[in-house]
Amino acid sequence: MLEGFNTSGAVIAAHIDQAFWVNFWVSIVLFCSVVLPMLYFAWKFRESKVKNENIENITHHTGLEITWTVIPTIMLIVFFWYGYDSMKTVRTMPDSGIAINVEGSKWKWRYEYPANEAGHVHKLGGAYIKQKQDENGKVIEEGTMGKSALYVPVDTNIILSMTAPIDDVIHSFYIPSLRMKEDVVPGRTTKLWFNVGTVGEYDIECAEYCGTDHSYMYSRLVVLPKAEYEAWFNSTEDTPKGNYATSGDAVLQLHGCKSCHAIETDKVLVGPTLKTRTLTSEQVLDVINNGQNKLGYDMGAMPAGLATGADAQEIAAYVAGGMKGAQPASFAACSSCHGEDGKGMYGMSPNLVEYDAQLLSNVLKHGKKGIIGNMPAFPYVSDEEVSAIAEYLQNTK
Amino acid sequence: MSKSYFDETHCAIGHPKSTFMQWMLTVDHKRIGLMYAAVMFTFFFIAVATALAMRFELFAPGAQYMDGDTFNQAFTLHGVIMVFLFIIPGIPAVFGNIVMPLMIGAKDVSFPRLNWFTFWLYIVGCIVALSSLFNFSDGAFNFADTGWTFYAPYSLNTGTNVITTLVAAFILGMASILTGLNFLVTIHRLRAPGMDFFKMPLFVWGIYATAWIQLLATPVVGITLILAILEKFFGIGIFDPSKGGDPVLFQHLFWIYSHPAVYLMILPAFGIMSEIIPVFSRREVFGYRTIALSSASIAGIGYLVWGHHLYTSGMSDLAKTIFSFLTFFVAVPTGVKFYDWVATMYKGKIVLSTPMLWALGTMVTFAIGGLTGVTIAMVGVDIHLQDTYYTVAHFHYAILGGVVFLLFAGMHYWFPLITGKMYNETHAKIAFWLNFIGFNVLWFPMFIAGYLGMPRRYFDYLPEFQIYHQISFWGAIIFITGLAYMFYVLIQGWRKGESAGVNPWRATTLEWHLPTSPPPLENHTKVPYVDFNPYEYHHGEPVVKFDENMKRID
Repeated sequence: MLEGFNTSGAVIAAHIDQAFWVNFWVSIVLFCSVVLPMLYFAWKFRESKVKNENIENITHHTGLEITWTVIPTIMLIVFFWYGYDSMKTVRTMPDSGIAINVEGSKWKWRYEYPANEAGHVHKLGGAYIKQKQDENGKVIEEGTMGKSALYVPVDTNIILSMTAPIDDVIHSFYIPSLRMKEDVVPGRTTKLWFNVGTVGEYDIECAEYCGTDHSYMYSRLVVLPKAEYEAWFNSTEDTPKGNYATSGDAVLQLHGCKSCHAIETDKVLVGPTLKTRTLTSEQVLDVINNGQNKLGYDMGAMPAGLATGADAQEIAAYVAGGMKGAQPASFAACSSCHGEDGKGMYGMSPNLVEYDAQLLSNVLKHGKKGIIGNMPAFPYVSDEEVSAIAEYLQNTK
Repeated sequence: MSKSYFDETHCAIGHPKSTFMQWMLTVDHKRIGLMYAAVMFTFFFIAVATALAMRFELFAPGAQYMDGDTFNQAFTLHGVIMVFLFIIPGIPAVFGNIVMPLMIGAKDVSFPRLNWFTFWLYIVGCIVALSSLFNFSDGAFNFADTGWTFYAPYSLNTGTNVITTLVAAFILGMASILTGLNFLVTIHRLRAPGMDFFKMPLFVWGIYATAWIQLLATPVVGITLILAILEKFFGIGIFDPSKGGDPVLFQHLFWIYSHPAVYLMILPAFGIMSEIIPVFSRREVFGYRTIALSSASIAGIGYLVWGHHLYTSGMSDLAKTIFSFLTFFVAVPTGVKFYDWVATMYKGKIVLSTPMLWALGTMVTFAIGGLTGVTIAMVGVDIHLQDTYYTVAHFHYAILGGVVFLLFAGMHYWFPLITGKMYNETHAKIAFWLNFIGFNVLWFPMFIAGYLGMPRRYFDYLPEFQIYHQISFWGAIIFITGLAYMFYVLIQGWRKGESAGVNPWRATTLEWHLPTSPPPLENHTKVPYVDFNPYEYHHGEPVVKFDENMKRID
C-alpha cells in the first residue's frame, strides 16, 4: 500500500472513499441478489432431481418485475448522488489558499510557487529517479527525493493550476493517497485543490499515457509542518531543511551520482559501486603495472612495476576482494605507502577500499578516467557536501 | 448421404472447381461466418500472446524482458487487435452470419454478395490496420505506441500513422456498417411467414439492436478521419493545440463511436445468453418482452453516455453530471435482463452441459464487470479510479468475462449445429473451469491494485504493487492453458467427435430444425410457418416438432 493511503489525511479522500464504500457494499448486495439465486436454482432444480412433469413455465410476475426494476433504479440514483456530491468536493475551489503552478511535460513535473517576501520564486521539479530494488525487494538505490518534490504545509488549502507546454502531450496529475487526479492538457489550464491534514510524503503519478517514460513520470508530495514550510518558503533554498537535502544521500541524489553509481550494493552500473571502493582485479592490476597519478595525492605518482607477475595477481585478488582474510606476503610492496592495513595515509595516499574526502574532492573537481569511460568533473560541489558524502559512504559500507 | 454446406456452395463470381476458390468466393452465410471465425481467432491468439509477454514483464518492478517503448508498442498491438479486429466484428460476424438466418428460417442473408464483399473489406481493413502500426520515423521503421485509443496530440506528434489507422478504422467501419445494413434488411424482410418481431428468438433481437448501432454510430469514424486529414495535410488546427486545436475534441469524437461500440459488442452476447438459459432450463424464458426491449433501450441510451470516459479530461462539471446521470440508466435494463435470466431457471430443470456452464460462469463475471462499471460511473469515485487498473479490470471483466465468455458459450452451444459433431463434454468442462478460475485470478487482483493507485499502461511500477502483478501472472498462466485446452477439445471434437444429430440439445428455435446435420446449402427444406413462440416447452420437451420436410408433426 502506498505511503499515506490509509491516513485519510485529506478532506477529498475522505469524501471519495465514502462514496466508494457505499457503492462497494450496495454492489455486494446487488451481486448477491443475482448470483445467490442463480447458484441456488442451479442446485435446487438440478437435472437429477426434477421430473419433467414438475417443470413450470412461469413467464411473468408483475410484482417481481417492478421490484427488480425500481429498487436497482433507486440504488443507482443514490450512487449518482454520491458521485455528484464527491465530485463537488473535488471541483469546488476554495476561496483562499496557496496557488502553485504545475507544469507536466514529457516526463517530469515542475512546480512554481508564488514569490516570497524577498521576491524569490521557488521553481522546483524535474525528472525523478525512482527507488530501485533487487529481486529480493532490497533497495538498491533510493530515488531522487529532494529537488523534484512538491512541498506544501499541512492543514492548508493548496490550489494547483496545471498545464502542459503547447507542443507536449496530455498528462494527468494523480495523487492516489488523496484519491484525486485531473488531466494536464496542452494549451489549457486545469485546476485541482487539496488540503492534507497529516504530515508525510505522498506519491504523485502520471495517469494519462504519455509515451516512453510514462511510468517514470513520478514525483512526491511532501507535507511539512507549517513552521518548517514557512521557513523554507521565505528562504531562497531549493529544498527545505530537514532530511531532504542535507544528508550525503540527498547530495548524491541532487547531483545525480546515483544514476551511474550504486551505493548500497556491489552492482556495477555505469561507474563502479560506491558501497566499498571495490575495484576489479583488472583495475588494480592496471594501476600496479602502469602506475597512477590521477588523484592528486601529495606523494605524487605511484610508480609502475612495484610488484610483478604472480605477486601482482595475488595483490589484485586481495584488494578486489575488499582486503578480507589473511594478507598475502606480497602486500608488503604496498604497505609502505598505503599503510600496514591498506587503509591509506590521510592526504598522502588513498585508502584502497574506501573513499576519503580528499579522493572524493579530487575526483569531483577533476573527473576521473575509469575503465568504462571518463567520469566528468563536478567542480561546483562544495567542501561541505564532499565531507557529507564521504561520511555517508563510510557509514553505508 | 445428403450434401451439407461443406460439400457445395454458391459463389460470388462463376463456378470455380477448386475447393479453395469455392471458399474464397463463397456467398453462403455459414461459410462466411466460419471464415470470419478463423481470421478473428488467429488475431485473438496473437493478441493473447502479446498480453502474456506484458505479464512476464510486469512480474517484477524494473525492466526484465523489454524496455518501456517495447512495452508501449505491445499494449498498443494488443488493444488494436483485440478491439478493432476481434471483438468489434465479433459475435455478429460469426454467429450473426451463421445462426441468425437459420433462426428466422431464411435461406441466406438478404444480400449474399454484399456479405461476401463485406468479409473481404474486413480483410483489407485488417491489413491496413496492421500496416498502420508500422511507421517510418527517425530513419527507421517503428511500431505504433499510442495505445488503442490514439489520443491526440500524442498520436499526432509522435510520427504514428494516425491517418492510416483511421483509414483502417473507416474500412473496418464500412464493413461493420454493411454487415449491420445486411442484417437489418434480412431481419425485416426474410423472417419466416408468421414470425412477427415478438416471435423472434432473443439472439435475433440482440443482433437487430446491434445492427442499428453499427449503422448509426460508425459514421462518426468517418468524421474523425476527415478532421484528422484536414489537420495533417492542410494544417488546420483541429486537435493539436500547437495549431490552435483542442485535443479533448478528439476524445469526444473517439468515444461517440467507441462507446456505443461496447454495446455493439455486448448486445449479441446477451442474445446468446438468452438462447442458452431457457434451453438448458428446459422451459420458456421469463420476461421475453423485457429482455427484447431492454436490448433496444441499451442500444438507444448507449449513444448518450460517451462523456463518462472524460470525467478527468477537464470537461465542464455540468457535462460530467449529465453524462454520469445518463450512464446509470444503461445499468437498469442490463440488471433487468439478469433478473429475467435467473428467474428463467426457477422451477426449470437445469442441465449443466458445457454451454450452460459458460453461461452461468458469465453471469458471475459479467455481474462483477457491470457493477464495477457502476462504480466508475460515479464522477467523484472515477476521479480516483480513472486510468487505473480498476478500470482495466472492469473493462476485461465486462468484455472478456462478458462478451468473449458468451462467444465461447455460443461456440459450445452451436458447435454441433455448425460441424455436425459433438466435442467431449468432460474435457470441455475441465477447460471451462481452467478458464473461469484463471480469468478471476488474473483480473480480480487488478481491482485492488487499481483502487490502491496503480495506473494503467505502466511498464514499471512502485514495489507496493508487486504482489498483485504476481498473482495476475499466475492467473494468466492458468487462463492461457485453459484457452489452449478449450480449442484443442473443440478441434478434436470436429475431427473425431461423434455425429451430433440435428437437435442434440433438444432446443426449440428454428436453427435446430434443419433436415440434416451439418445443414445443407440452402438451409430449411421448406420455409416453415411460424405461429408459435420461440421457446415453447411442455414438461421439458420442445412443443413444436418438424419432420425433415418442415412439416409440423407435433
